[in-house]
Amino acid sequence: MGGFRGHPWRICLHAFQTLAFGHYLFNYQYSFGWGYGPSMLPTFLVDGDIIIFDRHHRRGRDVRVGDCVAYHIPVSPDEDGVKRVIGMPGDYILMNSPGASSDRMLQVPKGHCYIVGDNLPWSRDSRDFGPLPLALIKGKAIAKGQISGWHPWKWFKPLENSLTTDVPS
Amino acid sequence: MSKWFQFRSNPRVRRFGEFSWYLFVFASWLPVAVLANDHFFEITRVNGPSMYPFLNPDKDRSLTRDCVWTWKYDAHDKLARGMIVIFWSPFNPETRVIKRIVGLEGDVIRTKPPYPVATVQVPPGHVWVEGDGDVTQDSNTYGPIAKALIIGKVTHIIWPLNRVGRVNWEEYAAEIRRNS
Repeated sequence: MGGFRGHPWRICLHAFQTLAFGHYLFNYQYSFGWGYGPSMLPTFLVDGDIIIFDRHHRRGRDVRVGDCVAYHIPVSPDEDGVKRVIGMPGDYILMNSPGASSDRMLQVPKGHCYIVGDNLPWSRDSRDFGPLPLALIKGKAIAKGQISGWHPWKWFKPLENSLTTDVPS
Repeated sequence: MSKWFQFRSNPRVRRFGEFSWYLFVFASWLPVAVLANDHFFEITRVNGPSMYPFLNPDKDRSLTRDCVWTWKYDAHDKLARGMIVIFWSPFNPETRVIKRIVGLEGDVIRTKPPYPVATVQVPPGHVWVEGDGDVTQDSNTYGPIAKALIIGKVTHIIWPLNRVGRVNWEEYAAEIRRNS
């Protein structure tokens, strides 16, 4: 290997370049995070689930209704959340939970999506802060799991979008 | 002499090896550039009339566009009225928009025509942004924007050369207070 000499400055430089490469992988390819909170039961546990995100779906690229997405919570900018998309721009959605006192509908505005947690009574989502700008989406959840046992290939289970069209269009 | 050694010492292969090494050295700096561009600074070209006359004052006379220096570290924090910020458009997640912050969370804003109600309070985690010009699509169209949409703060104008310098947004803070 030419160019790599053991000088401390050079080692620092290469460490920095490696960190920057990790930042690129984590922000533009795939990342992981720990889910916390009851809002996505039963898809994600209250504590301890590791979720893998596909960052190619950042800013809502190719996100479909039924996907779980990680997003910046609009009302608290430094926190992230994971919720399920139930409406994309132009879709008509129920603004509150089914069976709530109001059954108003809303057309999701341009560039926005409507997200709710799977655990409807224990979730803070679009029903509180309204449609979410797609630009706040960080990535799509593609797998979940826990590190337990000696077989890394058994740790994670892929998450599939269970919404499929019965009638071929 | 192994076959492999013969292959490696072939001058053509050696030249290609050197070239790919320099390519690798170049590529190893790309993630550093991405990191700097994501979290520290960016040079942005401003299109459109929304910040007229502060930016693009010659929009009707020339085709050149202003270039600005954007500081991106801690973009969601230490926001103030009068600052010029760049953020992702709420209506189109792939376009960036440049506007001036007019209200912070909790402020009561007197809105302008396209907005459906006369006054509005800015919700937590949001800011109210408006363009300086008359031709602008801003919070009066799409409402308060989430702070997490903000990419960075415009700190300096770097092109054209006759207006190079720091953006004195503090002067505008006083103006906003006077007008409201």
